[in-house]
Amino acid sequence: MTFSTQRPVTAGAPDIGASTTPAPPGRLPVIAGEWIDRTRRLAFTFEGKAFSGFDGDTPSSALWAAGVRILGRSFKYHRPRGLLSMANHDINALMQAGPRLNLRADVEPLEAALNLTAVNTHGGVDVDRARLLGWFGGLLPVGFYYKAFHKPKALFPFWERLFRRITGLGRVEFDAPHVRTPKRYDFADLLVVGAGPAGLMAALTAARAGAKVVLVDENARIGGSLGYQRGGNDDTLARLRALESQLAELPNVSVRTSTLAAGWYADHWVPLVDAKRMTKLRTRAVLVAGGAYEQPAVFRNNDLPGVMLASAAQRLIYRYGVKPMDNAVVLTANADGYVAALDLLAQGIGVPAIVDLRPEGDASDLPTRARQLGIQVLEGHCVFEAEGGNRLAAVVVCPTDADGRPQTSAPQRIACDGLLMSVGWAPAAPLLYQAGTRMGFDTTVQQFVPRELPAGMFAAGRVNGVFALEAKLLDGERAGAEAARFLGFAATSRITDRPTETTSPSHPWPIVEHASGKNFIDFDEDLQLRDFYNAAQEGFDNIELMKRYTTVGMGASQGKHSNMNAIRILARIRGRTPGDIGTTTARPFFHPVPMSHLAGRGFSPHRETPLHSRHEALRAVWMQAGIWLRPEYYAAPDKTRIELVREEAAAVRKAVGLIDVGTLGKMELFGPDAGEFLERVYTARFANLKVGMTRYAVMLDEAGVVIDDGVVARLAPEHFYFTTTTTGAATVYRELQRLNAMWGLRIGIVNATGAFAAMNLAGPGSRAVLAGLTALDLADAAFPYLAVRIGEVAGVTCRLMRVGFVGELGYEIHVPADQAARVWDAIMAADAGVRPFGVEAQRLLRLEKGHIIVGQDTDGLTQPDQAGLTWAVKTDKPFFVGKRSVEIVRKGAVRQRLVGFDLTVAPGGPVPKECHLVIRDGNIAGRVTSIAWSDALQRHIGLAFVEPDLAVDATPFFIRADGGLMVQAKVAPTPFYDPAGARQKLA
Amino acid sequence: MTATMRTSPLAVAVAGRKPELREVHGMPVPARFPGERDTWKATIGICDVSALVRAGLKGPGAEAWLAARNVPVPAAANSWTHAGGGLVARLARTEFLIEDGCDDVAAARLRAELQAGEPGVYPVIRQDCALALAGAAVNELLVQTCNADFASQSAADSIVTLTQMVGVSVTVLRDDRGTVPCYRVWCDGTMGPYFWETLIGIAEELGGGPVGIASLFADTAT
Repeated sequence: MTFSTQRPVTAGAPDIGASTTPAPPGRLPVIAGEWIDRTRRLAFTFEGKAFSGFDGDTPSSALWAAGVRILGRSFKYHRPRGLLSMANHDINALMQAGPRLNLRADVEPLEAALNLTAVNTHGGVDVDRARLLGWFGGLLPVGFYYKAFHKPKALFPFWERLFRRITGLGRVEFDAPHVRTPKRYDFADLLVVGAGPAGLMAALTAARAGAKVVLVDENARIGGSLGYQRGGNDDTLARLRALESQLAELPNVSVRTSTLAAGWYADHWVPLVDAKRMTKLRTRAVLVAGGAYEQPAVFRNNDLPGVMLASAAQRLIYRYGVKPMDNAVVLTANADGYVAALDLLAQGIGVPAIVDLRPEGDASDLPTRARQLGIQVLEGHCVFEAEGGNRLAAVVVCPTDADGRPQTSAPQRIACDGLLMSVGWAPAAPLLYQAGTRMGFDTTVQQFVPRELPAGMFAAGRVNGVFALEAKLLDGERAGAEAARFLGFAATSRITDRPTETTSPSHPWPIVEHASGKNFIDFDEDLQLRDFYNAAQEGFDNIELMKRYTTVGMGASQGKHSNMNAIRILARIRGRTPGDIGTTTARPFFHPVPMSHLAGRGFSPHRETPLHSRHEALRAVWMQAGIWLRPEYYAAPDKTRIELVREEAAAVRKAVGLIDVGTLGKMELFGPDAGEFLERVYTARFANLKVGMTRYAVMLDEAGVVIDDGVVARLAPEHFYFTTTTTGAATVYRELQRLNAMWGLRIGIVNATGAFAAMNLAGPGSRAVLAGLTALDLADAAFPYLAVRIGEVAGVTCRLMRVGFVGELGYEIHVPADQAARVWDAIMAADAGVRPFGVEAQRLLRLEKGHIIVGQDTDGLTQPDQAGLTWAVKTDKPFFVGKRSVEIVRKGAVRQRLVGFDLTVAPGGPVPKECHLVIRDGNIAGRVTSIAWSDALQRHIGLAFVEPDLAVDATPFFIRADGGLMVQAKVAPTPFYDPAGARQKLA
Repeated sequence: MTATMRTSPLAVAVAGRKPELREVHGMPVPARFPGERDTWKATIGICDVSALVRAGLKGPGAEAWLAARNVPVPAAANSWTHAGGGLVARLARTEFLIEDGCDDVAAARLRAELQAGEPGVYPVIRQDCALALAGAAVNELLVQTCNADFASQSAADSIVTLTQMVGVSVTVLRDDRGTVPCYRVWCDGTMGPYFWETLIGIAEELGGGPVGIASLFADTAT
């Protein structure tokens, strides 16, 4: 067994048989198996007052031991609240410690020098001024928020400000230090959730069969109820120690405490959350043995400090050595309540009465034992109300009639400072629900239990409706063996079916009505019994609607103590069973998780071309293109961005420029069917493309929409090399593979995007520069426009394509990545006039040529005809992807067309920008896709989508610029610059 | 294509650490980093081995083509085998990666032969960023960066895994250096600087850091 915990195991903690020692006030004598180290005191403050606790304490346990009873205030009425569960669900005891907000005081380990304050108070937890809200409870009915915001609308801002001011848990400190919480992955055959008796047996059984097991428990130590439901002796603790010993012998079990399995995702992905990080566990099977949440009883003032779940008191005693109270009444409806009473008695705590909701009482010998110990056992009784100001002082008990209603004619007032509630349980089943388990309501145990588990999911123990200790152990063994066999290991168990309970551990109606209310169902949201009746009366009588209207289960405990009672109430209102009502959806994460854990370590991949360092040296200003970093332009002292962009463009027009185009997607295509493949993929013809030549290529999707473009070069009869857009490479490569998986052509596709660097040497001087670096014949006859050649440049074998994207004589040079820098350096050194230019200059140059950029001058609906690409679409081919759609669309009216435009802007007047709208008669008639000032043309030019009747040369139209100002433009033919293409075809 | 004057995708990324460089197959790579000691064996060492020469090929005739040249061909997809000082990895049913060791020339020879063209055999240009991730704590690095279960693999399993690490597509195999766990990782060279910086950052948090090729590959130590 390996063991990990975010909380140190206390060294030297006394164990079974340890002798008692004098205890400080509020503490019990040393208890076998306690979690605290009494030799290590920790000083801390709460609400400005100094306290101390022990290592191993929680803030709540240390404060309770110090006599503090008000640990927090309720959310809505600001009522004083103390302990409820000590099980990670005490939402009214959330605390703030500096930048750490909403610290769960019932379970978070106490640390030295913590400065704690209660959240959601105005003036401190003891004198919270907002407690006055409780007096106006009658004015705050269920659905108050919705009603307040609904009407009158004019008051919406008032309510918004008010609610923002008076609500909220914790205070965010924006200068909080950054906490690193890197995620990690882990792997297992079997994840066992919950290290109580069932989970321990399940893990042991599966691990003995050979499975690699991860056993997680949200508590600081394993054992679950074996550690704290003892019944006044240490027998269960001895069982726990024996199980721990057996576990320790198994190296294939990893035990992780203080770790929450926070959700279930497809294929058994389970996030494990601990104090430091989230671990994404991939497991082959999941066994849920997470137990059950003890449920509160509902009666007036059931929230007074001192009223707590029986298991909370037991945890205080056996984990933290804290005396929960001096005298306690136990309200019960099962054997667990009697066991809790015995635990109290064993610690010298008075138990004046056990109030059993069941008329018949408990079938075991426990009531007899209790009476023999001097406890008054009141069967068929209920707690009608609790009394006290800021802490419990007494309970009023009365008998119930046949329907469980209180008979208030014979009340009995019992003084006490503690009331233990042990009336039932709700399964901790969110993971089962999330995995798709079909759950059903089992009336025998009065809870939802798994009826049909998905493959690889298993359940054992209380979550499976099994409560007796021996039965839980057997059920864990059964489930562990089943899981092991599912994983392919040989395993047997003593039983093969879920053990059945003879009596229900949960009462079907642990709820007592009271005319004065304050009988709380949901402690997170201060929801009372009458709120549910009112919600149903208003029509919210479906569990999902009721949840949203009342907000039951929407607080920080996510309904762990309220949902089951809410279901029972709705079932009674509608005359149905809880099974008919069903449960709400339990989404992951079912328990709050720090945002920092969800964020983890940030990974932001980016790509750098092989020439990145050259651009850095040239003072490139970077821009992102997809995940690539590209030079937008190159900075220079005392010059603005726009000046430099225009200078770079001018250099290309007048001399020679060099741009890194290595971000283009680059594909190699081999095989006897390569030409046929390209015929099908692109709209143009490629089967007839001559070796040594290139051709522009447009790719459509099945709907005929333009999705990519590039240049296809034929290097050999069965070898093509082609480019895609910068951001399209990965998508195009995947799509090509998908297509050929269907077509089965004899081809091989290689994505060489990162393997080749590429640069475009462009401008009237480019030929002369290149001539000095290569032995290739660059004469137009030998290397004409649109040709491709392979040859050495600066001693490196390259692929050269004579292209004209920027409208000048130019050579696109593709070179293996590891030798790119040498070629770039050689070109830059060949002529001092070679000027590097960036993406922004290229965008201007191509705009002057009217060349579109797919994704900028097209959108997710653009057909090739709309973008002026009709010339590139050969519908007389038998087939290409999107052909049928193009033909269908051509039969209808064109919605918009891409046109060139130019405009004259008055000095200082507004210049439209990309995405500004074309307006006609007050309506949108198109939008600008590209626009720039052209030094070469001495005017603004652009491309825009316009309605078809506007797409006629010289037609004026208006563009709405910034500030709503209208600017007149007119349609102009493209290319704007060198319409005949003479410059790029320069002989 | 020429085989000289090669630049590692990580040349700039490692330069700031001022490593002692050594030329391997025409590419300068860090041989040692300042202050480098053998402590990486107990923690994590990350080494740039991009200089090792690689040949890639795919196609229906690739397996037979390799066999005809006495290249050991792994029987199953996603497996690999040693070949001389280098390795042969079968990335898919019909796709292969051959990488030379520091003193081998097999991949270089095969790459040259592939240029001649052969029916059903298609060359795949390899310009990878190639790393070796080694050290006793390397699994902690892997579990923080990748969702593949490498801890359950042994070097003897000869498994090739195609997956993602820190958002980058990678090919991974385990090739221990003696008793020290070692994983070989290849990714697109243009992702290399990001990949390196990210992994180094995590490795340093875990007590490791960069190591030179001389530390991992004895054949370059002299």
